[in-house]
Amino acid sequence: MRARLGFALLVGLTPALALPAAQATSAPDELPGIEDAAERLGPPGARPLSGAELEAETKRVSALLRCPVCQGLSVADSPATLAVNMRNRVRELLAAGYAEQQVLTYFEGAYGEFVRLDPPVRGVNWTLWLAPLGALLLGSLVVFWMMRAPKAPGDVALPAERPAAAADPLPDDAELAQYVLRVREQVYGWPGGVRPAKTGS
Amino acid sequence: MNRKVLGFGVALVVPLLAILVVNLGRDPQRIDSPLIGRPAPPFSLAPVGGGEPLTLDKLRGRPAVLNFWATWCAPCYEEHPVLQASARTLGPDVQFVGIVYEDQEENVRSYLRSQGSAYPNFMDAGGRAAIAYGVSGVPETYFISPDGAIVDKFSGPLDARSLADRVARTRAARSASR
Repeated sequence: MRARLGFALLVGLTPALALPAAQATSAPDELPGIEDAAERLGPPGARPLSGAELEAETKRVSALLRCPVCQGLSVADSPATLAVNMRNRVRELLAAGYAEQQVLTYFEGAYGEFVRLDPPVRGVNWTLWLAPLGALLLGSLVVFWMMRAPKAPGDVALPAERPAAAADPLPDDAELAQYVLRVREQVYGWPGGVRPAKTGS
Repeated sequence: MNRKVLGFGVALVVPLLAILVVNLGRDPQRIDSPLIGRPAPPFSLAPVGGGEPLTLDKLRGRPAVLNFWATWCAPCYEEHPVLQASARTLGPDVQFVGIVYEDQEENVRSYLRSQGSAYPNFMDAGGRAAIAYGVSGVPETYFISPDGAIVDKFSGPLDARSLADRVARTRAARSASR
């Protein structure tokens, strides 16, 4: 009994003691509706919805909002208490006549752009759209540049001073080496299968 | 050729490394509140144990610390003594307010009975205040200047120093707003 009395004093009287007494005028039926939305968004920009239309719109608009405590789930899909509360808030705002964009702005004002599953294309968000295109363009340029500049035959020629033996190695097996030399003679026209020395400059 | 490839690679990798280094110490879950510096959203909250609702207007005139918490939240237990001590030390100069997040009033009563409280606590019906303030988990604490603007937000359990720093800043905002 004493504990109950003490608790009642603690939770009941503390606010009265701690808060300015002169401002205590609110009635319980003023418990929140859409006053904070009205302050943030101004007057509703659409017609109030009700019934099945309200439910359908609530589901559609909730699907555009990210559940802040879930991993990649929308407010429409998440069973989390916060998501349920957010859905209810969406329903209240739509029922009060707020337009979809106003509802999204309301949540964005509290949670930031993160709360929108489909961020608007503005400011730094442009990079999300342009970066893949830029990367594709850059990659195409690199590929084009590499394909456009193949090595000229002269570029791969061995230096004149390079010994022929080092340039055209032969297998260690003597018999096989003979075959290789014959192939080179027939294919390249090298006398005896040995690359002719460069003449002139 | 190799120099060109090297230059291209460096031009590509250096900015990415810079972004990585700059963000290494950053909490990827942390998102700055868009409400900082803006007027605190109005609310109307029913006191735990019954009584007259608290509205934002009643907090005007002195700095306020709004702490969203719940009995099922372990870090809130950790934070509780810090908030109580600070509220007792600062007395009436700073108004501390506990806002219960996604919890049953009976649990809150039981908790407050055992742990005590140096300031009033309020139930947030339907999580309206939490949504208006962008709360995504508890504990979260908002610091409101006497003229009703949000000076700062802290996610997670406050320690004495973090709380003192933020209260000092909130009180300084008071001087600035005069």
